[in-house]
Amino acid sequence: MQAHKVISSLTFRYIARYLLVLSATVFLVVVGMYSIYSYNYFSELSQSIVDEEETLQLIYDGQGLPGVRQYVEDQGKISIADHFYYLVTDVEGTKLAGDLPQASAYREFDGGWLGFELALLEWGESVDVEFLAREVALGEDYRVVVARSFEQAVAQGRLVLHTLVRTMLVTIVLGLVGGYFAAARSLQRFEWLGREMSRIVRGDPSQRIDADAEKGQVRELAGVINRMLDQIEALMHGVRSVSDNIAHDLRTPLARLRNQLSQLAHDLSEQDANRVEDLIADCDALLASFNAVLRISALEAGSRFSGETEVDLGQLLRDVVELYEPLAQEKSIDLQLATLPSAHCLGEADLLFQLFANVLDNAIKYTPASGLVSVSLERNSARAGHRIVIADSGPGISAEHWKDVFRRFYRVEPSRSALPGHGLGLSMAQAIAHYHGGTVDLEDNQPGLRVLIELA
Amino acid sequence: MNILLVEDDDAVAEFIGAELVRAGCGLTRCDNGDQGYATACNETFDVWVVDRMLPGRDGLTLIRDLRQAGKTTPVLVLSALGEVDDRVQGLHSGADDYLAKPFSMDELLARLQVLHRRATSSSEVATSLQVADMVMDLLQQRVVRDGQLIPLQPREYKLLEYLMRHAGQVVTRAMLLQHVWGYNFDPQTNVIDVHISRLRQKIDKDFATPLLATVRGAGYRLGAGED
Repeated sequence: MQAHKVISSLTFRYIARYLLVLSATVFLVVVGMYSIYSYNYFSELSQSIVDEEETLQLIYDGQGLPGVRQYVEDQGKISIADHFYYLVTDVEGTKLAGDLPQASAYREFDGGWLGFELALLEWGESVDVEFLAREVALGEDYRVVVARSFEQAVAQGRLVLHTLVRTMLVTIVLGLVGGYFAAARSLQRFEWLGREMSRIVRGDPSQRIDADAEKGQVRELAGVINRMLDQIEALMHGVRSVSDNIAHDLRTPLARLRNQLSQLAHDLSEQDANRVEDLIADCDALLASFNAVLRISALEAGSRFSGETEVDLGQLLRDVVELYEPLAQEKSIDLQLATLPSAHCLGEADLLFQLFANVLDNAIKYTPASGLVSVSLERNSARAGHRIVIADSGPGISAEHWKDVFRRFYRVEPSRSALPGHGLGLSMAQAIAHYHGGTVDLEDNQPGLRVLIELA
Repeated sequence: MNILLVEDDDAVAEFIGAELVRAGCGLTRCDNGDQGYATACNETFDVWVVDRMLPGRDGLTLIRDLRQAGKTTPVLVLSALGEVDDRVQGLHSGADDYLAKPFSMDELLARLQVLHRRATSSSEVATSLQVADMVMDLLQQRVVRDGQLIPLQPREYKLLEYLMRHAGQVVTRAMLLQHVWGYNFDPQTNVIDVHISRLRQKIDKDFATPLLATVRGAGYRLGAGED
């Protein structure tokens, strides 16, 4: 099954959309929680800096600058990772004590808050660490900056973010893979349904989808389609029987009209009689159409051929070709025949003759002068039957019309007006083939048309 | 020609009857199979025309019963069924010819005349046929017109033989297909006309009086008409 078909299938698109919404939701929730956590963390961090400054203030009030210097030195010696950093300066900015460099590139925030990055030695390596700091006045002569790293929070946040991203990636990938297979499975079922439907539509509309092995919705859908096919078939049958009835009911008055015209022609002068003869010819053409429609219907409605008579297909084809040979010669068409010595099939000779005659008649009719028409009989071992191919070098029929030309009265446009015919020849041919359990198919002969007749 | 028509459909019977009477035939009509059987047994006719579907005794049974009763009168079966194997069934039950409705009166008349002629013609086996100045030698399979040998293809010979056997009668295209080619089918184009025109080239072209005439709307006739 092609991947792009699965991916563009409804099921897969639905699953992908669901995954997207799910991931976005999870992401938003986590980002929200992270914001709350960060806010709390920074509140505590800044509060601790304010507290530390108050401590320094107290020390300065009690012991003056030496006390502060001592305190800052002591604090610097504490070997915990997360301790305060200090910078004590005079009002001119000259460093007096502390472990922060004198002039850092501060980013200034509201309320005297500062942010900066500083390279610290950590495990022997120099690492850039983010600090939050605040500068306050210490008495009237000094200023102090108290800084505390929030690297830990950043690291934690990064960890949370990485974990989140990875989890989401895995979820999405797994979801997509799972979705792909789920979609492929459902697509398979729907493609099966589609294939079954087109098989029925193309072939025999009386067939139904066999969904006994299916479950759930596919089975329900197949049931609905089967009921729909029932209705379509009933409608088709209705339409056909209406047209049959029309043909049937019109035959008698038409025959009477024709015969009366024929009587009339006897009593008329030759010139008038000729005009009446044209009317009679029109009547005959109509009657022939009606007869053909009724014969097609009789063939389609009746059961399959069940007789025992054996037909020599080679002989039959020789007879058809012999009958049409002069017609081909009149147009200087090269009519070729290739048969097999013994090719027998069960069937009714008159009907099979009609089938081949109809197809050959068309082939000769549509092939331009000096063209080529070939009739060949082959054994079709795959179907244990025979294949008769009648190919011409005429204009052919474009593939889009291949199905239509088997419809009653359908004629491909240019020939409709240019050449005589009632558009029933191929319908009749197909009806006869089906009656014998065979098929009629069309192919491109490049140039021209190939008619493939398969018989059992 | 005296005809018995066994047909239950009044409209069809009236129509066929009127046309047959106009064509100079004597006509008796029965509207059911049993009456048809009684009439056929008691009276003599030249041809029976029997509908396939009849009330009482159906057409094919009627023919079978009459044949079993030793009657040999030629029968033409009419059928409105349009069913495929009707013809075969009809011929199996002892009918001599078969015509599917609707048919042209010309087709019916042509076939009735052929049946009638076949029944009345002498049963001795002819060795030659003659129409005007054209003679067909059936033993040597040669055709000579006005002393001139006419070379014919086998199919042309068969075609001419059929026409000569029915000289003076109208022969329809369907009849030619049926008897000369041996297939009963409905050609989409007048493929027969091409064969006829070829035959005409050979037998008529070089001679003063054409023998093979086209009867418009019906078929062909070799030689002068009978009527």
